[in-house]
Amino acid sequence: MRLLGYIVRRLIQMVPVLIGITLMAFLFVKFLPGDPILILTGGKASPATVAALRAKFGLDQPLYIQYLFFLRNAIRGDLGTSILQRDPVVDIVVERIAPSAFLIAYGSLIAILLTIPFSIISAMRADQPIDHGIRIGGMVTFAMPSFWLGLLLMLLFGLKLKLFPISGWGEGFLGHLKYLFMPSLVIGVYLAPMLIQSLRSSLLEIMQAEYIEAARAKGLSPLRVMLKHVLRNALIPTVTILAVNIGWLIGGSVVIETVFSIPGLGLLLVRSVNYRDYPTIQGLTLVFGVLVMSVNLLADLSYAIIDPRVVYE
Amino acid sequence: MLENIRNPKRHMGVLMVILTFVLLVVACQPAPAQPTEAPPPPATTEAPMEAAPTEMTTTEGCTPSGEVKRGGELTLARLEEPLSLDPILITDNGSIYLQEQIFETLVVPDETGAGLAPGLAESWDVSDDGLTYTFHMRDAKFSNGDPVTADDVVFSLQRAADPDVSQYAFAYQAFDTITALDDKTVEVKLSQPYAPMLSAVSLFTGLTVPKDIYQADPEGFGNKPIGSGPFMVEEYTRGDRVVLTPNPYYWKLGADCQPLPYLDKITVLYVPEANSRVLGLRNGDFDAIDNVPFSEAASLESEDNMQLEVAPIYKLDYLYINHSKAPFDDKNFDLALNYATDREAILNTVFFGYGELPNDYMPKMNFWDPDVPLIPYDQAKAKELLAQTSYDGRTIEILVGSGDAPRKQIATILQQNWSAVGINSEIVELDVGTAWDRTVAGDYDVNVSYITSDINDDDELATFQGDYWAAGDTQAFFSRYQNQDASDLLKKARESLDPNERAQFYSEVQNTVYWDGYSVPFNFTPAITSSWNYVKDFHTLTTGWWWLEGVWLDK
Repeated sequence: MRLLGYIVRRLIQMVPVLIGITLMAFLFVKFLPGDPILILTGGKASPATVAALRAKFGLDQPLYIQYLFFLRNAIRGDLGTSILQRDPVVDIVVERIAPSAFLIAYGSLIAILLTIPFSIISAMRADQPIDHGIRIGGMVTFAMPSFWLGLLLMLLFGLKLKLFPISGWGEGFLGHLKYLFMPSLVIGVYLAPMLIQSLRSSLLEIMQAEYIEAARAKGLSPLRVMLKHVLRNALIPTVTILAVNIGWLIGGSVVIETVFSIPGLGLLLVRSVNYRDYPTIQGLTLVFGVLVMSVNLLADLSYAIIDPRVVYE
Repeated sequence: MLENIRNPKRHMGVLMVILTFVLLVVACQPAPAQPTEAPPPPATTEAPMEAAPTEMTTTEGCTPSGEVKRGGELTLARLEEPLSLDPILITDNGSIYLQEQIFETLVVPDETGAGLAPGLAESWDVSDDGLTYTFHMRDAKFSNGDPVTADDVVFSLQRAADPDVSQYAFAYQAFDTITALDDKTVEVKLSQPYAPMLSAVSLFTGLTVPKDIYQADPEGFGNKPIGSGPFMVEEYTRGDRVVLTPNPYYWKLGADCQPLPYLDKITVLYVPEANSRVLGLRNGDFDAIDNVPFSEAASLESEDNMQLEVAPIYKLDYLYINHSKAPFDDKNFDLALNYATDREAILNTVFFGYGELPNDYMPKMNFWDPDVPLIPYDQAKAKELLAQTSYDGRTIEILVGSGDAPRKQIATILQQNWSAVGINSEIVELDVGTAWDRTVAGDYDVNVSYITSDINDDDELATFQGDYWAAGDTQAFFSRYQNQDASDLLKKARESLDPNERAQFYSEVQNTVYWDGYSVPFNFTPAITSSWNYVKDFHTLTTGWWWLEGVWLDK
């Protein structure tokens, strides 16, 4: 019950933050130079057409009226109509969430699968050649630009080995797993070095704790001590880093989406900004806000599962 | 403290569970790739496709004119994304090129794009004064089996001509009335003679939609379009793909005297990254791609099993000059910019030699005059002209839309070329929207950009670019270039119905405006596509798109 109360409180706290986010997004795009109707019509349409289009999208209203309209409709679940695509923004965004979410979840999973074994080896063999190897390797992959790594993977796994398709996101769960493997791997090897760095240092710290001495003294094998006792207590900082980065990836995976032609949120955001598609930008910002806050909430909740001493007040 | 290390096993790896859960939840959402409702199968009595394929049932009056193979599927990867399939809403090439496969107009651009051919109209009559056009329609059907009536055509043309909803209303300005005389006859009356009349009728904005279906759900029409063109839309997933299948009722016959199209299915993918398109083509994921980057063209051309097409289209890459600002209000300065610019170098380094040096202020179209002399690259002449101006050495801003590597490269060459003759400049990179805003507002010096024509008559661009006083208020396409003679000549050319006379007028305008230093033109930029050798008859028209109905596979 306590947990439920905590979740409800967190959800309520989100509301003012979201309103703040929409206000910022609204003002930012309005103060950007560039007019959506001029961009849309490419300069050839007559002033009458431009005026008609402005009125149609409410752009002839004063700013605060536009914003209040946006808020009122948002509460009713209506984020307006895209100027560029002429579809409801809600539909457009919902259509794009699945590829992005799948990509980010898949990438994070790969990152975790890489992080746990490598950081355990690194910590258990600290300052030995294998530890240095892992850390240098991490630095190299972290420093590689993702579009370049993506193209390299396409050349290797696509063109040479013919193992994976090189664009699109496939159909069905298995199709997504196959099509999104390469882009997810790019995300994975980008995230993993940060996570390995953090997990390795917390592992080393916890390994010095008295209760670990006690576990060892009980005669448990070093690997068992590591997996059962050290890893668990060392996870929390790493989960925080992962959550922050997932939040960033939600809108920031555009390079990967472009290279692999994945119809996700990042591509949509860039297109909307280029065309100054105000309603879509505002809708996306709102959705990003909700997603980022949800990921953070999820991370906070997972602390309790990792460490039962964590109590939600 | 010790009891903490005895936690139950089931909690281990909880993050994995959460993530796997997210993956599953996402996968269980309805896939956006829902095929649109399949149209009802054609009634057997009126289904040309149902004719037994074994015995060649040649339609009356048709003689087979060559070997083609039918069937198969084509995957085409494109740079641009179709935003809506309702012809009235959107004017981006991503959408237009596909709308052209789904809908028809009374008159259509021909196989090359430069001429006109009968579409929904079998024939048409023009009154002696050139003011009344009567179109006689053929018995065409929409992909749902309904006949295309004169009412549908009138409705579609009227909305295209209505400035409140149509961004291309300017093309129909001379249209006075559009009426249906009967079920299959459309009459258009003009308020004044208008030479580009038939080209305007062929414009994509007026593509024929079924009036009743459109009016029942105008908002949703762009997502589930129904037209009378060779293809219908089986699936339309935003940001990803459009899947086209043959319209079983399409009227036009192929080289084998059977109804077009030849292919069973075409998947048009949105692949925005150039390298990904090229890699996908090489990998065999795509059969054909558009917008081949200039840097990759030569290497694809040298592949044994691939082909490259460099097609002339109505496109001009050029430097917009703001004539309302000093020193650009002085013709000598504008010409000096031209003389000082090594356009050959730009063609070779930026466009890798693909294209042609322009002797024109607008794209190369039907009335282009090859005999207008090119302004040579001549630094001495540039310096001489510059000395006659009041240019005080101030720094000129070269505006470039950000994220466009070739245009940035052009700007860099301009900067170097100009500094050699004593013109100082700096490159200002702004995102495309901002750059455009400033161009429209006249708040710029020069802008590295381009223009394309959507209509296969010279009038649209000649007038937009050359006539400061033209309706539409673009002020000579934001250049603020003013020349009363050019304006008068353009009016005469628009109203003359004699092609030879028009050619003469346009040639004169070309010579005048180009040699006035309207702009610094860089390239009649071609469209480059590439495909595997087994893809036949995939050609880019001068209007930029392709007639996919005629594409077939030899494999």
